[in-house]
Amino acid sequence: MADSTLLNLVLWLPILGIVAIALLPRGRDSLVRNLSLAVMLLQLAMTAILYVHFDPSVSGLQFATNQPWIREWGIGYNIGLDGINVLLVALTAFLGPLVVAGAFSAIQKDVKLFYAMVFFIQFAMLGTFLAQDLFLFYVFWEAMLIPMFLIIGIWGGERRIYATIKFVLYTAFGSILMLAAVIYLVYSLQQRTGINSFAFVDLYGSDLPLRTQMWLLAAFGLSFAIKVPIVPLHTWLPDAHVEAPTAGSVILAGVLLKMGTYGFMKLGFPLFPEATRACTPVLMTLAVISIVYGACLALVQNDIKKIIAYSSISHLGYVMLGLVSLDLVGIQGAIVQMVSHGLVAGGLFLMVGMIYERCHTRDLAAYGGLAKLLPVFAVFFAILTLASIGLPTTSGFTGEFMALLGAFNAAWPLHEAGYDLPLVLAVIAVSGVVLGALYMLRLAQQLLFGKTRAPHQPLTDLNTRERVILVAIVAAVFTIGLYPEEPLRKTELAAREYQQIVTGTALDQESLP
Amino acid sequence: MNWHDVLTAMLPEHILLAGMVLLLCLEIVSGRDRDGFFVALLTVAAAAVAACDLFAQGYAGSPFAGHFSVSPMTSLPKAAILALTLPVLLISRDDFAETRYYVLLLASLYGACLLVSSDSFLTLFLGIELMSLPVYVLVLLAFLRPESTEAALKYLVLGGAATATLLMGVSLLYGWSGSLGITAFTSALSATQPLATGGAVLVVAALLLKAAIVPFHAWAPDAYEGASVPVTAYMATVIKAGVLLAALRLFGTALVTGPMVSLLAVLPLVSMAWGNLAAIRQTSFRRMIAYSSIAHAGYLYYAFLGAGPGRYQAIVFYLIVYGVMNLLAFVALPRSVDDTRQDHLDALQGLFHRQPVAALVIAAAMLSLAGIPPLPGFAAKFLIFRNVLAAGYTTYAVLGLVASYLGIYFYLRVIQYMFMSAESPDAVRGRPRRLAFLATVLCLVPAILLSFFPGWLLDRL
Repeated sequence: MADSTLLNLVLWLPILGIVAIALLPRGRDSLVRNLSLAVMLLQLAMTAILYVHFDPSVSGLQFATNQPWIREWGIGYNIGLDGINVLLVALTAFLGPLVVAGAFSAIQKDVKLFYAMVFFIQFAMLGTFLAQDLFLFYVFWEAMLIPMFLIIGIWGGERRIYATIKFVLYTAFGSILMLAAVIYLVYSLQQRTGINSFAFVDLYGSDLPLRTQMWLLAAFGLSFAIKVPIVPLHTWLPDAHVEAPTAGSVILAGVLLKMGTYGFMKLGFPLFPEATRACTPVLMTLAVISIVYGACLALVQNDIKKIIAYSSISHLGYVMLGLVSLDLVGIQGAIVQMVSHGLVAGGLFLMVGMIYERCHTRDLAAYGGLAKLLPVFAVFFAILTLASIGLPTTSGFTGEFMALLGAFNAAWPLHEAGYDLPLVLAVIAVSGVVLGALYMLRLAQQLLFGKTRAPHQPLTDLNTRERVILVAIVAAVFTIGLYPEEPLRKTELAAREYQQIVTGTALDQESLP
Repeated sequence: MNWHDVLTAMLPEHILLAGMVLLLCLEIVSGRDRDGFFVALLTVAAAAVAACDLFAQGYAGSPFAGHFSVSPMTSLPKAAILALTLPVLLISRDDFAETRYYVLLLASLYGACLLVSSDSFLTLFLGIELMSLPVYVLVLLAFLRPESTEAALKYLVLGGAATATLLMGVSLLYGWSGSLGITAFTSALSATQPLATGGAVLVVAALLLKAAIVPFHAWAPDAYEGASVPVTAYMATVIKAGVLLAALRLFGTALVTGPMVSLLAVLPLVSMAWGNLAAIRQTSFRRMIAYSSIAHAGYLYYAFLGAGPGRYQAIVFYLIVYGVMNLLAFVALPRSVDDTRQDHLDALQGLFHRQPVAALVIAAAMLSLAGIPPLPGFAAKFLIFRNVLAAGYTTYAVLGLVASYLGIYFYLRVIQYMFMSAESPDAVRGRPRRLAFLATVLCLVPAILLSFFPGWLLDRL
């Protein structure tokens, strides 16, 4: 049952969804909504089957398909699951139905186009994670721009056009230099080994001179760093988040930002290991700056969405920190942190959307004491707040703790050898946890406690649809928080291989996933 | 001269000629205008099929040795040019009922076919001129508007300048080599004598002018804006393709070296950057497309930097993709009674709510022209820049990619107008052209196929 056909079906199901939606007559909005939800749930079910059958003890790709696509250039339709992408694919499939259901009442304009675009971006995101061919990866990577451009631009807030064009121009600039690097990388592989291939497996062994590696890492890294985003390339994010509709914010925070860190993990660092090792202090510094600076910015915002947007910058800083620590615990922490942030930030954006639908403002000062007005809402919000802070038993704790532990593991031997920078950076990174508690508690306190006030009273508490969505998210948050062994087991082998490639301890091995 | 060869090898050209004669006779006999459209459509379709057939057979022959030869490498571009004219004809029916329009169009096509197969400067020159001269008249045919006269005149004067430059170059090359064969051009590229270099540079300058490369681009926006939509579409796709194919014929697989590299790198690079930047400021759709075509001509000339064998593939693939996507935008454009207002970009505001299919199709065309995957424009751009990089011009390739990035904004702006703006009060509510749907399907099918299976076409190039 679980084989490559199923994986292909998971990837292409959104396209079938678009066709189905397009064939529905106009004006049947509720039918479009239900159909979209059904397709997304089907996709989730199929992904769950794949996840369960994913064998953590096997190295390399599983459920793989490898067909030549453009034979002459050595480009293949090459997809598959491995330990790095399996959790992210599961996350994407998990958030899909929640995004669709979360937009049931919020999106009333151009409903067909909206769900078609949600499917399109779902397709592009899954494709980016699954692609094992650089050309295919780039196609999916760039294709994500189109639906996101429309989602922010059509259904966004007042400054949506400014925000969406800024988003596209920022990301496209990174991609265009990455394209140059992609062509150069493949061409130099062909020159050196005679292999004309875009497959990741072939490219990992390309072994370029350090100088070339530095240039290429800079080009790839710029593109990924914009997507993460790493300070100082982050300025598009608050605009995009604030102006995007709830569904757009959830997709953006939940999955799209992970594209950047996934790109570093799958391509940027393993393709150019020597350059990565040479740049580790710089990358680590940037990660720590992102953690602290993002947190400081979140501390002073008055727009609820902006607080969560800046907190994303801070949380993804931990992912970067874990990845560049090149310590097994840190790498696994980074993967868990990616999933955890997707769940927590996605959930928080959904909740902000729910309160915005009721009160039509995101200004923090307009709210207070919602715990009395909307008790159910308050419970869920408090849980997600604590998960965002990283309270033990939630997924946020597992991710942040492991990423920081990895950073210390890597820094300690260097400290003993007399090189203190990594240790100093790791210590500063810990302060991000404290700052995180500060800005999230400030948000929760203002929103839930204190003097009771809210615009557009009386307010109705969460309905069944909204409760189901949040129960699903909270359940996932606790599952990862309480039983982290399961996801860690799935990723361990891949994390180890990543570590070996980047640290150069496996140079004798020809092909690695 | 072998008569059998003349008959088979030139079948597409013969069909076009027969169509022209038939059209002229029909006009004298019947006086009914609407027959012209069908005759022209059938003629072009038959010629395209004939060219495809020649390609499928792998036919090679030279009916006029040293002047005109046919091979699969000429039949495929010929078939592409002819096939790209079909959507143009389909949308022409509402604007032009007169037979003379169709005669002129077929004559121009005949010229384009001729230059693709030319082996000597004589046939090449004949082809280029036969292709361009009718277009001056075609621009003028939308005579209702004062801009048309200005556009046609500008186009004529600058086209004349290009002709003179080309002839001057050819005569220098003839004086240097004593031969009219186009191989004189490639040998002049590697020669050091001033006569040869001067001749080659003049010929290249004429081709740059014809393709509207900066700084020879000023005629294009006026000509594109002054002409009516079908003629603009024809100019932006077929004429541009013809000029590039002429350049391809001249350069062949010769490696570009020495000072010619800077000519063929810097001017196209400036074209890309300037075309993309100037397009941002345009308020008229056709002027915007004109600047976009200036930028695209830049990408196309960039391909000459690459090594010989990949050049043919890159240019023909690009021309087909660019032609299909450009036509897609033109055929889906809503039509109004007043031709000048239709052209305003503001008129596209809220198009998605009036004509969702047209808006989606135009959006796809814009994204493809911007080179965003998965649309085929990306594969075409990728191929060109891959060849430039493989030839060792890393800096030029990176600069070219950055210049192409500058274009993304104005293509997105069209989408923004169509999808994100409220309907403007002076929005065009005109009915679409009668056969626009058919033309759209005709462009959409290859566009979709090229998105998913670019390898199919690439294998045949």
